[in-house]
Amino acid sequence: MNVRETRLIVISPASHITPDQLTRTIHAMGKNVTVKESCYGAVIEGEKEVVREVISEVRKLDVNGIFSKVRAFRVADPRRCRAHHGTRPGFAQLEQEWEDLWKIHRGLDRTDKGEKASVRTERKKLSVEGFKRICEVK
Amino acid sequence: MKIFIDPPNSLILYDLVERFGHEPLSTMAAIQEKIDRTEIDMPPMNVSLEDVMKGLKYAGIEVPSGVRGRLAVWGPMIEDAEAAIIMEDCPYSFGCVGCHRTNLMVRYLIKRKGIPVLDVNYPNDEDEGKDIVAKIKEFLEGLK
Amino acid sequence: MIKIAQLSCGTEYSSVQYEIEKAARSVGATIVHPDVSASDIDKAVERFGFKPQSPQLKLMIARAVQLADRKYDADAVFIATCFRCAEGALVRNELRRFIQDNTRLPVVTYSFTERLKAAQLLTRMEALVTIVTRKELLARERQSGITVGIDSGSSTTKAVVMINNKIAGKDWTPSGDVIRSAEHVLENALAEAGVKMKDVEAIGTTGYGRFRLGTHYNAKLVQEELTVNSKGAVWLADKQRGEATILDIGGMDNKAITVRDGVPDNFTMGGICAGASGRFLEMVSKRLKIEVTELGSLADKGNWRNAKMNSYCSVFGIQDLVTTLGEGRTFEDVAAAACHSVAEQVYEQQLQEIDVRHPIIQVGGTSLISGLVAAVGEILGSKPIVPENSQYIGAVGGAILSSGFLEGY
Repeated sequence: MNVRETRLIVISPASHITPDQLTRTIHAMGKNVTVKESCYGAVIEGEKEVVREVISEVRKLDVNGIFSKVRAFRVADPRRCRAHHGTRPGFAQLEQEWEDLWKIHRGLDRTDKGEKASVRTERKKLSVEGFKRICEVK
Repeated sequence: MKIFIDPPNSLILYDLVERFGHEPLSTMAAIQEKIDRTEIDMPPMNVSLEDVMKGLKYAGIEVPSGVRGRLAVWGPMIEDAEAAIIMEDCPYSFGCVGCHRTNLMVRYLIKRKGIPVLDVNYPNDEDEGKDIVAKIKEFLEGLK
Repeated sequence: MIKIAQLSCGTEYSSVQYEIEKAARSVGATIVHPDVSASDIDKAVERFGFKPQSPQLKLMIARAVQLADRKYDADAVFIATCFRCAEGALVRNELRRFIQDNTRLPVVTYSFTERLKAAQLLTRMEALVTIVTRKELLARERQSGITVGIDSGSSTTKAVVMINNKIAGKDWTPSGDVIRSAEHVLENALAEAGVKMKDVEAIGTTGYGRFRLGTHYNAKLVQEELTVNSKGAVWLADKQRGEATILDIGGMDNKAITVRDGVPDNFTMGGICAGASGRFLEMVSKRLKIEVTELGSLADKGNWRNAKMNSYCSVFGIQDLVTTLGEGRTFEDVAAAACHSVAEQVYEQQLQEIDVRHPIIQVGGTSLISGLVAAVGEILGSKPIVPENSQYIGAVGGAILSSGFLEGY
């Protein structure tokens, strides 16, 4: 039996690609997948192998600006459908991650250019002695 | 390699692990396995009484049922994991990762296992975004 | 369709979410989750003032704020968190208070384990729905015509015949077979009232056996005991207006209900521990070889401090009491200690989940045990009112509310 895979495709807010372009591109591939446009990109569903093929192809539109993760529930599963239950817990998290996705998008661009992680010195708490000195200053 | 990600439903971590050539172990996959079991009808997640009891492997009966039920989903994933990436200070992680106590236990279980672990912080700005990507890339490439 | 907003943490991972939705459906309601976007959450938590570590609890808070600000429309609120989670318990209780301060929505709180008590959950959901759908009926303050109320409880079965806002006949018996026990008490109550069954214009049933009796008698009103008992209690105590707390320490489960103008707005039901129930006092009496009716007056003369118990448990606690007797303490002190123990357990296990409002009306069979009423008063700081016929609240409530149907409710 072929394994079903449902995936969220999320476009970075810094990308020039729109959800509409994304879904039209997937439709144009003519693969046997269900595609649903969403405010952040699209949800696609089909056989695992086919879904993965589609993802790697569609990423080419903007390699560092298109992200994806699997989703447990099928498209329009009544157990998770917003129409039936209102927003589900994961939605607020996705919303937040989408909002911050441009940081990762730019991070990928810069890493591609060979930038490395910078070494940061952790901020230490002021010592009791140091704090005392400040307090004692008239 | 199989990489456990924490938060286990994070889009950013899932994507980066896959992007750099590894297999992310996510809540989504674990939940999919549960909800596709047609013989159990405990919507929405199909976490059954039996699952909650399985959670006793990780925490005793004095621990709330929600913690044990969550650990029953993640425990087996941690057992499968060959490495892990933990992202601290995430602004929001609800539902499956909604319980702080469970999250503490999950992190402890990862550390106790002794597999390679990378700790990163959720990015506040572009520079930190770059740092996360670079660190994760280096970590994952080093595992190959 | 009645919309019950669910504010919860842990239900989906404790295998209880399905049961919650099933209970709601079975009483004609649907569970809804107020919409929240990520940007609402920090503001909501800031406004609420309690900042939990667990994100799901933050989400609960944000959902509650949506309800308080009327940005999301629901008819009632169900707040649930895992049993034994301290953070969850604090948020659950404070959110309940917040909802009550900011809305007129009826609220019920619940702390669950994976072994959720389906029957208790159903009663809670049913009560929430009754409060929403039968607002007018519940606002009724007088009984009219000839009506009967039957309360089929876990320990006793009670029947009351009411004629034009007065109790005309009543009887009770220990519960056996649901139908036979009811027939027996009804017959005696009718005889006392001097009316025949054919004269009865409406019947209301409540308690565990309400559905069977409802069908058997073709009752006009078949309703859970939380709303029915509240009505009976405020009528009996003549406290139909304003606020009150109704406390019913029962044989199997306890109810603590806060009411505004006779209509419940929050309630808790317990039933995990026999040590916090009337059954404990029954067992103590049996062990001391006295009647349970004597226990109360004995307790009135004793001092619980002289007979300290190391356990609340109905096995070990009672053993402690017997040992204390062996050490030369009096029956009075032991009886007082037993009453104090139950009162303290009810306080610790249940009254924490509601805002106790005065006056406290203590009802049910155990309200006849004077020592227990005194112990409750000592713990709560003011002596509860025990109305006459306090053990008949359910039956009286059934008779009053069913008479509403005679006037075309």
